[in-house]
Amino acid sequence: MNSTFESDNENLRYGEYVLGLLDADARAGVAREIEANGEAAAAVALWQRHLMPLASDIRAVTPPAHVWARIQRTLLLGRPEPKREPKGWWDNAVVWRWLGMGATAVAFALAVIVVRPLTHRAVVSQPSGLMVSTIAVGNGAAGWTATMDLDRKQILVVPASPEPLASGRDTELWLIPAGGKPIAVGVFKHDQPTALKLSDALLSRLGPTATLAVSVEPTGGSPTGQPTGPVIGQGAIRGV
Amino acid sequence: MSVTSPAERDELNHLLVRTGQQDEKAFSTLYRKTSGQLFGVCLRMISDRGQAEEILQEAYVTVWRRAASFDAARASALTWLVTVVRNKAIDRLRQHREMTGGDALDFDAIVDESPTPAAGAEASQEYQRLQECMGELEPRQRTSVREAFFTGATYNELAARAKVPLGTMKSWIRRSLLQLRACLNA
Repeated sequence: MNSTFESDNENLRYGEYVLGLLDADARAGVAREIEANGEAAAAVALWQRHLMPLASDIRAVTPPAHVWARIQRTLLLGRPEPKREPKGWWDNAVVWRWLGMGATAVAFALAVIVVRPLTHRAVVSQPSGLMVSTIAVGNGAAGWTATMDLDRKQILVVPASPEPLASGRDTELWLIPAGGKPIAVGVFKHDQPTALKLSDALLSRLGPTATLAVSVEPTGGSPTGQPTGPVIGQGAIRGV
Repeated sequence: MSVTSPAERDELNHLLVRTGQQDEKAFSTLYRKTSGQLFGVCLRMISDRGQAEEILQEAYVTVWRRAASFDAARASALTWLVTVVRNKAIDRLRQHREMTGGDALDFDAIVDESPTPAAGAEASQEYQRLQECMGELEPRQRTSVREAFFTGATYNELAARAKVPLGTMKSWIRRSLLQLRACLNA
């Protein structure tokens, strides 16, 4: 092991990170290093191995059953077959709630309702048509509604009852393919309708096995290309 | 920790690997076997029960999505899981600073949450080693390390709770980390 003062200090910082002593910015800094630098990742992993056994001293507490139910619901697990006919989004109370929220949203919504009738259902393999996602927040309520227009290659994120956001933080939208890493869609205004472009790479991954997620990031979005802050909303994607 | 024997550890590793292959049954068993321990960790860091439940939920959602990145050569499943849940909890604490105003830390009043004899008997080698090394630390420094780990407090918060200057707390922790590292790598 290199024992110069600098590398020692660096290594101690990783120990401090693992203990949980660093403030938000310093934490994000180490998180970036872990992503970018194999040596940093190995050093952090060693501290984790050293220190995590401390958790052995904490008494286990059985969590209430609804936690598991929520995990399953969020991940769409434990459902043999989707029995319900997918509802048209005009049946969705959330959509009507946000329709009242701004002329842009109304205009866009009317445009897509008029232009896209019911015929686009099998949109999985052939990227065309519309997909929607209700992004649920911590308490299970709809935080945002996202409408993906595959032909126009854009996604509209509209707040329903968004989580409040600390100043100096932005909300960032992510696409998470099944079993894959999150892919950044873009930073959006958490309390205003925002339209974002969908690249071809993103379009090809949209579908019912993927999910959307919203994380809290430093202003301007995640510096690492992966979520660095807490995930505050999640929603399955479905065709209309 | 309730799960520590080598056989149980191997089983958890296996379950986490299977979870990474999107095996729902393995994920469900993994949850059943580890959620109590992880919820205990959440509650220790975030006393609000509702928020602790949210953290636990977020953590297992992440476990399902990221389990494929688990590398059994680098860490045990339990270490990986505790890391996931602690990171979630610490992020939440940093987001809501006001929650960690914290109680004053009375070093004389703090009772170590020492493991029960039953848990100690089957505790992992790593755990026993860490306990030995922790035992070599000066008591106030040991308490500071444990308090940091259990509560996710920042240096500032920890210094305020212990009623010592920030510089003192930093040097306590850093000295402890150096000592632990030397002891654990020996």
